[in-house]
Amino acid sequence: MSLTQAARRTTEPARKPPERSASSTPAGPSGTNSRLLALRWLALRAVALVVLLAVWHLVVVAEVWPRVLVPSPGDVWHAFVQASTTHDGVRGYSGHLLIEHLGVSLRRIGVGTGYAVLVGVPLGLVIGVVKPVAVVLEPAVTFLRTLPPLAYLSLLVIWFGIDESPKIWLLVIAALPPVAAATAAAVRTVPGDLVEAARSLGGGPLTLLLAVRLPAALPEILTGIRIAVGVAYTSVVAAETINGVPGIGGMIRDAQRYNQTDLVIAGIIAIGISGIALDAALRGVERAAVPWRGRT
Amino acid sequence: MPRSDTATEDRRQPVIALDAVTVRYGTKRAPVTAVRDVQLTVAEGEFVVLVGPSGCGKTTLLRTVAGFERVAAGTVDVRERVGVVFQQPRLFPWRTVGGNIAFALARRGVPRPERAARVAELLERVGLPGTAGRRVWELSGGQQQRVAIARALATEPRVLLMDEPFAALDALTRERLQEEVRALAAASGTTVLFVTHSAEEAVLLGSRVLVMAAEPGRIVAELPVDLPREPPLAGHGLRGTPEFAALRQRLTETMRGVPEEVSEGVEAAPVP
Repeated sequence: MSLTQAARRTTEPARKPPERSASSTPAGPSGTNSRLLALRWLALRAVALVVLLAVWHLVVVAEVWPRVLVPSPGDVWHAFVQASTTHDGVRGYSGHLLIEHLGVSLRRIGVGTGYAVLVGVPLGLVIGVVKPVAVVLEPAVTFLRTLPPLAYLSLLVIWFGIDESPKIWLLVIAALPPVAAATAAAVRTVPGDLVEAARSLGGGPLTLLLAVRLPAALPEILTGIRIAVGVAYTSVVAAETINGVPGIGGMIRDAQRYNQTDLVIAGIIAIGISGIALDAALRGVERAAVPWRGRT
Repeated sequence: MPRSDTATEDRRQPVIALDAVTVRYGTKRAPVTAVRDVQLTVAEGEFVVLVGPSGCGKTTLLRTVAGFERVAAGTVDVRERVGVVFQQPRLFPWRTVGGNIAFALARRGVPRPERAARVAELLERVGLPGTAGRRVWELSGGQQQRVAIARALATEPRVLLMDEPFAALDALTRERLQEEVRALAAASGTTVLFVTHSAEEAVLLGSRVLVMAAEPGRIVAELPVDLPREPPLAGHGLRGTPEFAALRQRLTETMRGVPEEVSEGVEAAPVP
């Protein structure tokens, strides 16, 4: 217990609660110091990035490998600009700008993960609280989880053709197991204290499940969703293997077919950067949705 | 065993009646008898304190009354709606202070539009007016326990079960809450079954104190507390009186005299 907490405890009489804004975090390290440190780490990252680009450039200039295989950072930047603009009457790549390819893929990831959450959370809840269901379905979830998406893509193409649905199905199948597994594990480990307290207040089984177990499990569920988005991200290129244009995965596949290594790398970087941004956004959502995490 | 409270007991309706109750933990091969053959009757409006060393089954007994434990033998008869206050506040961190109380109100079927007013009223009763919108982790331990009490009261219990509710609090907060709970119970006529390991707390709060011993958990002595509780002797004014000191002394001796009891920590500060 920190000193300030101890002091607040002994001065408890608190008829009037201490006025403290909700945003102020108690007992954090002093603000300016930590900000300076964070800035320093950021600078270190920037330096590392510059070094990486420089080494990359030197390797290309030294022609260790043919330029078709290893394009320079400048080539990749050029490919990125070409794919992002309309030039010589051609709009981006295959008629779509890179950002549009990325947008289509992100939409697929969003829809796929969305369905995965809609099905996975209730599924995980049931697996978590109903033992017979867990016995039957838990191995199935683990089985799905270990499958590489490319393994079931063929089956999905046979069943659903080559349009949008097999791609969405693939992402749902890829994203569902992490959500269901995280939810099941979380509702199992909900503190019995809270469940008992709710029962003593007159909560029935359904209330306990939806108003106690589910919110208590929310932090872990959100982590599961974040993992699921990551899995969907890594699977989207597989999903777009066949008839994937527009789509960032489809774009990369096409570029590969024509040995456009620079564009392949540009596409990979676009996926990576958007992935980092999305993960950061999801972390923000997590913090906002479960502000009590780590405080109780 | 002194039974001088029997006269008043009989006049009132018993709200809790345990008959030859035995509770066991553990596996069939290695059962642990937490409580054996306990007889307990609590009349309406009584403030009964169960006191004893750790491991004597007092919490198990309270949990049995609350319906959290299955009895191996005997019968449990609880006639009124009970509310439970635990040692830890056990508030739902995903709900605000008011939201925690509203949860209880919703379980009692209080319509949504009426809940806000009831929440405000309950918070007022436990000395935390205007805190409905606050997050539970923003409150001190004592304040959280007040919210827990308000939440238990929200179900309008006729019987309040309290399991060492102040053990984790600092001395000053504990004294304050002891006084308030005593006053609350007296004002509303709520029956209270209260568990503690402190002789001081037992004498201060109880109208009747039951001493428990361990291995197996059972009630070994009963001590009626007949202290003047009118102002200025209400609450902590009581502590200074010779009657209080004598009773506390007697209770402590009873607890020490209890077989198998290692006389430690009867009055010691609770472990946080």
